[in-house]
Amino acid sequence: MYAFKYAKAKSVADAATSIAADPDAKLLAGGQSLIAAMKLRLSQPSALVDLGNIADLRYTRIEGDTLVVGAMSTHAFVAACADVRKAIPALAALAGDIGDRQVRNMGTIGGSIATNDPAADYPAGCVGLGATIITTKRKIAADDFFGSMYETALEPGEIITAVSFPIPKRAAYIKFKNQASRFALVGVFVAETPAGVRVAVTGAGPGVFRVAEMEKALSAKFAPESVANIKVPADNLNADLHAQADYRAHLVTVMAKRAVAKASE
Amino acid sequence: MSHDDFHGRLEDDRMVTGSGTYSLDWDFPQAAHAWFLRADRAHAQIVSIDASAALAHPGVIAVLTGEDLQAAGFKSLPVLTIPTRPDAMKPLLPFRPCLATGKVRMAGEAVVCVIAETQQIAMDATELVSVEYKELPPVVDALDALKPGAPQVHADVPGNLYWDYDDGDQAGTDALFAKAATIVKHDLYNHRVIGNPMEPRCCISEYDAAKEQYFLYSPTQGPRIQAAMVAKVLGVPTDKVDVVAKDTGGGFGIRSAVYPEYCVTLLASKKLGRPVCWNGSRSESFLTDNQARDFICHGELALDDKGKFLSMRFYMVANNGAYLAPTGLLSQTRSVTSCITGVYDVPVAHARIKLVATNTAQVAAYRGAGRPIMSTMLECLVERAAIDLDMDPVEIRRNNLIRKDQFPYAMTNGTTYDCGDFEAVLDDALAAADWKGFEQRRAESAKRGKLRGRALSTYIESTAAGGIPDEAQLRFEADGTLSLFASSHSHGQGHETSFAQVVSRVLGLPMKTIKLRTGEAGMRVGGGGTGGSRSMVSFGSSFFLGAQEVVKKGKELAAKELEAAPADITFDHGEFSIAGTDRRISLQNLIQKHQGTHPHPLDSSSANKYGMTYPNGAHIAEVEIDPETGVTDIISYIAVDDIGNVITHALVEGQMQGGLTQGAGQIFGEHAIYDRESGQLLTGSFMDYPMPRAVLVEGLQIIDHPVPTALNPLGAKGVGEAGCTGALPTLSNAILDALRPVGVKHFDMPATPQRVWQAIQEAKAGRPSAMLSYTLEYA
Amino acid sequence: MAVKVSMTVNGKSVSHEVEERTLLVSYIRETLRMTGTHVGCDTAQCGACTIHMNGRAVKSCNILAMQAEGASITTIEGVANADGTLHPMQAAFKEHHGLQCGFCTPGMVMSAIDLVKNFPDTTEQQIREQLDGNLCRCTGYHNIVKAIKAAAADPASAKAGV
Repeated sequence: MYAFKYAKAKSVADAATSIAADPDAKLLAGGQSLIAAMKLRLSQPSALVDLGNIADLRYTRIEGDTLVVGAMSTHAFVAACADVRKAIPALAALAGDIGDRQVRNMGTIGGSIATNDPAADYPAGCVGLGATIITTKRKIAADDFFGSMYETALEPGEIITAVSFPIPKRAAYIKFKNQASRFALVGVFVAETPAGVRVAVTGAGPGVFRVAEMEKALSAKFAPESVANIKVPADNLNADLHAQADYRAHLVTVMAKRAVAKASE
Repeated sequence: MSHDDFHGRLEDDRMVTGSGTYSLDWDFPQAAHAWFLRADRAHAQIVSIDASAALAHPGVIAVLTGEDLQAAGFKSLPVLTIPTRPDAMKPLLPFRPCLATGKVRMAGEAVVCVIAETQQIAMDATELVSVEYKELPPVVDALDALKPGAPQVHADVPGNLYWDYDDGDQAGTDALFAKAATIVKHDLYNHRVIGNPMEPRCCISEYDAAKEQYFLYSPTQGPRIQAAMVAKVLGVPTDKVDVVAKDTGGGFGIRSAVYPEYCVTLLASKKLGRPVCWNGSRSESFLTDNQARDFICHGELALDDKGKFLSMRFYMVANNGAYLAPTGLLSQTRSVTSCITGVYDVPVAHARIKLVATNTAQVAAYRGAGRPIMSTMLECLVERAAIDLDMDPVEIRRNNLIRKDQFPYAMTNGTTYDCGDFEAVLDDALAAADWKGFEQRRAESAKRGKLRGRALSTYIESTAAGGIPDEAQLRFEADGTLSLFASSHSHGQGHETSFAQVVSRVLGLPMKTIKLRTGEAGMRVGGGGTGGSRSMVSFGSSFFLGAQEVVKKGKELAAKELEAAPADITFDHGEFSIAGTDRRISLQNLIQKHQGTHPHPLDSSSANKYGMTYPNGAHIAEVEIDPETGVTDIISYIAVDDIGNVITHALVEGQMQGGLTQGAGQIFGEHAIYDRESGQLLTGSFMDYPMPRAVLVEGLQIIDHPVPTALNPLGAKGVGEAGCTGALPTLSNAILDALRPVGVKHFDMPATPQRVWQAIQEAKAGRPSAMLSYTLEYA
Repeated sequence: MAVKVSMTVNGKSVSHEVEERTLLVSYIRETLRMTGTHVGCDTAQCGACTIHMNGRAVKSCNILAMQAEGASITTIEGVANADGTLHPMQAAFKEHHGLQCGFCTPGMVMSAIDLVKNFPDTTEQQIREQLDGNLCRCTGYHNIVKAIKAAAADPASAKAGV
């Protein structure tokens, strides 16, 4: 790990001030991706601004027909939270299967979506549910938030404070894990939301994406057979040691089918 | 010890409480820290090295390069055992430096060592070293390396051929093949894996100038044999090196070797006058630990018109990597061919193996060391014969097994099996697996849309390879305890418990008063290390005989005490007595009477060579494939094994479970992949190299069928590697059995979901052998 | 550069000056010289470094010491009773031969204690799945699973308080 300066933020405002002062500084949430990258000397921030002490970013609450999750809520916290399990069990299940237990005890929703690892689970949950990302500056629709791998709509100095999820009628997330890393080789989040059916895919491409054809078919009939024959083109999908693009494309259909079946249970 | 009265090992209390002592747990507050600059490319000439900026970095103490080692008189890292060949053709042994000089031959090869006050400073400074390279094209594939015009890894290894090894009777084999009614041929690739013991390779090195003695604290399988290898490199007598270890975090063959970093840091300690610590990372273990397997295999089986095996012949190409590791010759040659025709009655056979240099990490012994290569080749070949000739897979095996009345069974390659009951072992497995009920289970799986497969494999392996006498010393200490000394260091086997068990049973002394000490400074005992599944067979037997020596000496002492002739003294349950009288004295009492004398009159030792033992078994696996995703689950795995007499059942079962799971790890995903263009290792971390996790192997059932050997006093056969040797062919065949109904004819491992799915797609598209990686012709 | 870090480790308050980039595991192993917590990889996957931070299992190799400022840490050394009696989980690993080389064992035990605390009525399948964050190369996990199942069923586990 390269040397860096460290500061513990007392509040979101405090963090925003610190981060604005140094363009090479990074926010530290749970650190499960960032520290790992720094250990391998793949990331070299000049300073870390630790959000770990900001207790008021760790909450979940129901606000009307949405579920709001504070940015520093750990995956384990979200998975165990009664509100989440009741309102959006698919989101609780997603959080409860990120990484491994130790990672879930540290990693946070804010950290995960700010990192936007192309194989992370939360981006699928956010896009699949049509969530809104709330930052210190604005509200961003999940569809507009996630870019290609590791890119987001966040501006320098902008800090995620919460994510607001519309409560769906039904939803499910099915993940096919990379055998080695346990990240999503392909993960598909399917939801029937007040604004329509959404299908979001992670792991397969350079970033999370929706499958319009599946959404349309499921809008007509929310059943596994509706997506069973819809294939996504392999052209833009990831190809690596673990899976060729055609295999990933195939898995998108299979996982989508299984997610619809699960959501229909 | 029966299964039920196991309540833990003597080593467990410290290990479950975090009080174990692994290599980096030794306390050397004064230690400087070493870090290595490693080759960032697979093949290049070193034009120049400039370490001045690193040396100038605050906190840096010294920088060492290959030239410094040459100046210090460093020798090549050694090759340990060179199997003999009748025609006296010798392997080529190119120089293997501890820090690259002139050329780098594999990505990750150590080039420069930076020593600093802290590890972080050493790492920072390593980035300041600049090395100018002249790029050379790398070759990573063994067949590519054998092609004319291929890049040459070593100037003194023409054509990249370390050794053209052969074993068996070629003329006799050819004669039998000429008579065959049918010849069945099969190709497979036994892919490369990385052993990954959980403790990364590391060391603390200390030189004592007053004693002119080197101390290496490192993970080890055999401290004295490792010391001998280190001494060879340093050019000093073996006595001048102590390898010190208490607990070793796994080994599997890989920790038996000497490695460059050990020797470089020992020199650094000598130069700096302080200990030097190398906190090796997992990434470095991935790149530079001895790797394993990587065999391209071709086998042929000659049968008569009744399905009787006449002979077998094999041609294999082994990718040995950029250098020959200490065990890199034996594990790739005689260890492969010693059980050349398995459990089958085929005395005449032949195998040829080419050992090839490539720009990859060195390949050597890892759990099974060569034997899984042959067991997989053989059993896939026999399975292929059953399919091709439409024979029952059980009956083709049963009809060709060596019968109980044929032992000792000698083969023309010099191997003699002493004992076994292969058919009884097979029958036990068939019964446990409900062999006949399979079709019903397959149909039930099919209803759920799953492909069920099942396979039976037999295996036999040579273990506890002889070589040097393995010594056991028993010393009665002033504090009343009995110390056991040996060079066989546990890296998980539980020697403290099992050797104490052997001695306790002979002497009737309580286990807790017997202490095994295998990795202490100053210990001088003869013998090998823990490897080749030899510890219980060989060292255990020496402890058994050593304990009997104690009894013999005890009888003489007791005779004096009881005023009788030694011949009249009997020993039972820890007591010496005169037969037919009530005059007796306990061993404990005799020990106490002389407590504090040194040497104690009961101190004993035993050093012996014992014959090879041949553990064997029959394994049956059932797997289920989800054709939609390619995911394969193990539904059941029955292992029936003859490992001779069992000393501690729980420990034996643990060895089998671990070995089987390591085999399953290779079958289901572990795979060291090098990029063919760049020569870079693509699977260099647990992010890309799938280790077996707890969900991989369920439904495992392990059954003993002991046939004790007379070749050692314990009647034991080696157990450490048997599980792995059996699992590779069994799971390979079960997976192919599941895939055959959808048209797949060949399937090289690993059975990752992607590859299984791909095999099904290829078969559907009319390419049933698409997943076959290589084909060879026997020549 | 150095910063001051303070925390409670196994019930004892500790405080030291450390470099900012000091990992919690380095602080525990090198500064506190408690070497029961191991490092088996550099990508935060093997779980050999698992400890409890404020009552939850975390990987100490993937956390800065500064992130544990003010936290209550329990390591493998703090799990057994003061009189040396093993924690039920430690006792179960020993009883069921759930360890061989022992290198993964401290992390495995810490993870298993957390597992049983969160899933007191756990099943074999759940244990296998929830051990995703811990690698063992020796045992094939069979006896580890057995040990955890036994410890979960042991009434002493609920009372052990770690």
